[in-house]
Amino acid sequence: MSARPELITIEGVTKRYLTSSGPVDALHDVSLSVEEGAFCTLIGPSGCGKSTLLGMLGGLVTPDRGRLLVDGRPVTGPDPRRVATVFQEAGLFPWRTTLQNVEFGLELQGVPAERRRQTAAELLGPLGLSGFAEKYPRELSGGMKQRVAIGRALALDAKILLMDEPFGALDEQTRLLMGEWLLDIWRRTRKTVIFVTHSLHEALFLSTRVAVMTARPGRIKTALDLTMEYPRAMESSEMVALRAKLWSEIREESLRAMR
Amino acid sequence: MTVVGLRLGLLALFLAIWEIAGRKVNPLLGVPPSAVLPSLRDLLLLRSYPDLPASLWLTIREIGTAYALAVAAGLGCGFVLGMHRLVGRAWGPMLAALYAVPAVVWYPSLMLFFGLDAASKIAFGFLLGFFPIALAVLAGIRQVNPQLVVVARAYGAGTATVFRRVMLPAMLFTLVGGLRTGLVLCVIGVVVGEILGSKAGMGALINHAYGLLRTGDYVALVLVTLVLVVGSDVLASLLERRARRWTE
Repeated sequence: MSARPELITIEGVTKRYLTSSGPVDALHDVSLSVEEGAFCTLIGPSGCGKSTLLGMLGGLVTPDRGRLLVDGRPVTGPDPRRVATVFQEAGLFPWRTTLQNVEFGLELQGVPAERRRQTAAELLGPLGLSGFAEKYPRELSGGMKQRVAIGRALALDAKILLMDEPFGALDEQTRLLMGEWLLDIWRRTRKTVIFVTHSLHEALFLSTRVAVMTARPGRIKTALDLTMEYPRAMESSEMVALRAKLWSEIREESLRAMR
Repeated sequence: MTVVGLRLGLLALFLAIWEIAGRKVNPLLGVPPSAVLPSLRDLLLLRSYPDLPASLWLTIREIGTAYALAVAAGLGCGFVLGMHRLVGRAWGPMLAALYAVPAVVWYPSLMLFFGLDAASKIAFGFLLGFFPIALAVLAGIRQVNPQLVVVARAYGAGTATVFRRVMLPAMLFTLVGGLRTGLVLCVIGVVVGEILGSKAGMGALINHAYGLLRTGDYVALVLVTLVLVVGSDVLASLLERRARRWTE
């Protein structure tokens, strides 16, 4: 695994927000590298800067200090040809159909209508949205909306997929199914995924690498490499032990964050 | 079909009550529909008011000019206040407060500034039409889900693209509602302006007719003005349909 080249390098990144109640240190001296094809999960207490870090990789947030390299080049702004983002809220355009929402990024890149329609239509099958091409977001369930949002990101054909708690707003069962579905998509498309979550289950079920972040100001506390085969048997003694280890790390930080 | 039937039924009931009541009052003060019909015929055949086409055209031109100005100023002002947070916070409430002032109190000074001709009617129509348009833009911008703007930026949209692909479609219904209200108020402003004091236009004809107690002619003129109002609303709904097609 270590033979694979690094696709993402984060070096000493720091971010402070100025709020009406004073400055807030969101991230402090965060460094992390992610290999091509990895599924890297960021996990940690609420408000530890996971989303800020993802925002930086997406070019939506500029760090105060440090630098971020994607594919060897520094991040200077949103670059949808290399990095595609999925947010916690699906953020679909209500006046666009499923197909038109999936096409959105290609449309902005000036891809001809015919070709982008074809790309989007081909994605609907694996997304499980075949019969829903002409539906509007209000006609879709929460899980479907999130799959449309993932489709919109996949359509860009970027190497990197950033996912900010994409299943956070879904119910437990839908969430588990979406996890299995995402695993399947990831293994087929071989994207490099950075995945933010609060769920231990998701982290262990999906990731090749789990980075635990500390309470604010966010830092990388531990990074674990997971080498188990997919699909993973979550009840195996190895997984149960890992889960306990991960939980004790996160628990400590969550307690600190609550104080 | 039932809807049309119900509408016609209400209209028939209204006309029947009017007919009965109209026959009982002094014919100088009120007329039944049966007496309006000959007046309306005389009016449309240009027998009673030969200058009807010229007056109608003048009023339409005044409305058109007032509305064009109200749209331009309303959109401009609304977007400036809506896009710049500080400016909006400072001046937005003042705009809303001005809207609450009964606009007719400005009319005497408008006549003093702009005279008895078309300019004062245009100014008054503009004054009435401007506020709902500017405030609709403000409300529309506030309605845009900021998450959608973030998504568009992440997918490579610059300011102009965010505006055209996200802001405009997201605020379309509020915006079109404001444009529609603005048009109706422009029509009201121009006609009221003409009635309050003018030398030409539909309002002047109405003034003339009721000033001479030619009640039948007066009602006929009001009916023609009503057609003007309904016509402008039809125009507004066409605009709405076009706007909807444009966003798709």
